[in-house]
Amino acid sequence: MSQAATTAGAAPAASVASTEQYNYAIIKRFAIAAVLWGVFGMAAGVWIASQLAFPFLNFDIAQITFGRFRPVHTTAVIFGFGGNALFATSYYVVQRTCQARLFSDSLASFTFYGWNLALILGVLSYTMGITQGREYAEFNWQIDIIILVVWVAYFVVYLMTLLRRTQPHIYVANWFFMAFILATALLHIFNNLEVPVGLFHPHSYPLFSGVQDAMRQWWYGHNAVGFFLTAAFLGMMYYFVPKQAGRPIYSYKLSIIHFWALVFLYMWVGAHHLHWTALPDWVSTLAATFSILLLLPSWGGMINGIMTLSGAWDKLRTDPIMLFLITALAFYGMSTFEGPMMSLKSVNALSHYTDWTVGHVHSGALGWVAMISFGSLYHLIPRLWNVNLYSLKLVYVHFFLATIGIVLYITAMWVAGIGQGLMLRAFDQYGNLAYTFTESVVFLHKPYVVRAIGGGFFLVGMLIMAFNIAMTVRSGIKAEAREAQAASAEARTA
Amino acid sequence: MSTQDNREKDPNQVETTGHVWDDNLQEYNNPLPRWWLWGFYATIVFALVYWLLYPAWPIGDSFTKGFNTITFEQNGEERTMHWNTRALLARDMQTGTYAVRQREMLEQVAAQDYETILQDAESMSFVNAYAQGSFGTWCAACHQVGGAGVVGQYPNLRNDHWKWGGTVEQIEETLHKGRLGYMPGYRDTLDGDQLNQVAAYVLSLNGYEVDTDAADAGARIFTGTDGGCFQCHGMDAQGLTSQGAPNLTNDLWGLIDVRGADSDSERQRLVANFVRDGVQREMPAFGDRLSDAEIKMLTAYVHSLGGGQ
Repeated sequence: MSQAATTAGAAPAASVASTEQYNYAIIKRFAIAAVLWGVFGMAAGVWIASQLAFPFLNFDIAQITFGRFRPVHTTAVIFGFGGNALFATSYYVVQRTCQARLFSDSLASFTFYGWNLALILGVLSYTMGITQGREYAEFNWQIDIIILVVWVAYFVVYLMTLLRRTQPHIYVANWFFMAFILATALLHIFNNLEVPVGLFHPHSYPLFSGVQDAMRQWWYGHNAVGFFLTAAFLGMMYYFVPKQAGRPIYSYKLSIIHFWALVFLYMWVGAHHLHWTALPDWVSTLAATFSILLLLPSWGGMINGIMTLSGAWDKLRTDPIMLFLITALAFYGMSTFEGPMMSLKSVNALSHYTDWTVGHVHSGALGWVAMISFGSLYHLIPRLWNVNLYSLKLVYVHFFLATIGIVLYITAMWVAGIGQGLMLRAFDQYGNLAYTFTESVVFLHKPYVVRAIGGGFFLVGMLIMAFNIAMTVRSGIKAEAREAQAASAEARTA
Repeated sequence: MSTQDNREKDPNQVETTGHVWDDNLQEYNNPLPRWWLWGFYATIVFALVYWLLYPAWPIGDSFTKGFNTITFEQNGEERTMHWNTRALLARDMQTGTYAVRQREMLEQVAAQDYETILQDAESMSFVNAYAQGSFGTWCAACHQVGGAGVVGQYPNLRNDHWKWGGTVEQIEETLHKGRLGYMPGYRDTLDGDQLNQVAAYVLSLNGYEVDTDAADAGARIFTGTDGGCFQCHGMDAQGLTSQGAPNLTNDLWGLIDVRGADSDSERQRLVANFVRDGVQREMPAFGDRLSDAEIKMLTAYVHSLGGGQ
């Protein structure tokens, strides 16, 4: 399982130390998997967005209809693209900042195969109509168990590597990764407490019912956003932004305060997904107010990232990777402002059950999660193979395609969501509802078309990245082969 | 090294914490930005005020109620309680501007008879606005949003072809009790030739070019005991509303796509197959789901859609 050892001798002198010292082989696999899942997951997204605009595109084939493909899309992008990118970067960051080799090559390898197997099984089962019907936790109970085992292995690998560190202090990125791993374990277990129908039966009964079950689901759902899609990617940010900028993090003090505020406050806010339902009013209030309290702690991460570049703003003119990282932080700031506003009961009365929610989650998912991952992968992958990136120009092209795509996407969803929200609450002069639900659906068609086009831009950017990465990796492998040849020739002459 | 250089270029920067990771990862020890800190305090104040006004913190089996109250009517008595969504809904339905206005209009129009409603511009204006929503909720799933129906399945309500009668009384009865339409299949009664003959006859009644011999034979089946079609559709094929048997002479086709057929033979085949197979259609009853006032609004609305009788 120790691929690192097989490549070590062949690598150029400069990288000999790191490839021997660190387990890079596992990081390479996760990084490539992230790109592949990204292409698949985003293509699935564009596909279902097109179905919403033009329903005939489901061709009456049950397996590819919106209902079944929507969890395929979310699973592929969140857990496939995002998850593999997090495994790759967290394994990279923990090794480099602890100056210690990853604990147990075989256990790390197990996390790679186990995680991706679970995702493939999940995606296949959704297309067959097997789902728990819990948003972002659609995996049936057998797959839940695979994920649990993989996650415990991840925790062990990560913790043991931290314990092996040769550095006196634990770098801030690792706090965030550790919080993410612990919280995700907690969330995954608690939200999937269920009684299987039978040993060989895919379905199960949830342990709770009614509003308790709804609260459990959204406690999970929002903390998946908080810890998987936020804390973990902040960990990524805390390493790759200062590294790419070549400058120290802006404020150690701010990182401590906002870290603890963030992990403490996030746990309370999930119920804001259930305003104006059977939820007790006091739960609603707490969820709304804690969401407001979360605004500045979230911005702490944005400030720390963006201010790190203070004094080196010129890099934005010359370094497209920096553009990705800083734009990601800007979108992070925007969506963490929008989120608390939407969690207020009065705003939520308009936004809930509309596409505004979908737009909000994508300004976070495309703008923050995907952009920070793109930047980090562009930084990471050339270093793993010890080559230069194939084309910086293509990174620029990717950046602009992605940014245009996001802007089209979220503005279309603002129009769709706010428009539909206003239509559904409009009254005529007699006190009648002014519009039927169907009329609001007719109104959604044009924004849906724009959304699909925006998604298309983003997908093309992703394809260009995949090409750029493939060419980079190819040149890396060729260089390794040349080195190996030279080394063996040298050995013969000696 | 490079960070050291940067700091020298930037004398305003504070010291780092002194920790270094991975060659050059460092942290400045800048103080918390003031605006950030005051912003955070502001959100805390916001939360405290919110908690004082609304139900917020659980205590044992209960929770802090907050100082905000709502007054509404319950069982004929005025009741004031802490802010909560149920009371908010009750108050809104009792005293909300739109709810009150709609209730007034509904009572006013429901008290009128159909003749008045159909002739009074304001009443019809309310009916159209109110019932458009009800129609969208209850009827559009089959009859479509505009009421045009689906050929072969759901009747078009926008023409003057009424299977069960187009007077307001008949439409109201249809809405209240629902309808069960049934025509038997003739596969065991008539052979292929006879089915074609009946089809030719029915088409001829609507002005289509058909084989006259076949149509004559079809007429004998239709009006005789072989087919017995006349028993529901009438000797003159004008239909019978008490049976829901449609008029077969007005070239309006709800269940057979005669107008969509490409050729004479295709038309005849469609009609013959329909007679062979028969049909059963059901409109559900709404008397137990909608109030009399709501049914009245829908009746007037549907009546006005298709030029009711």
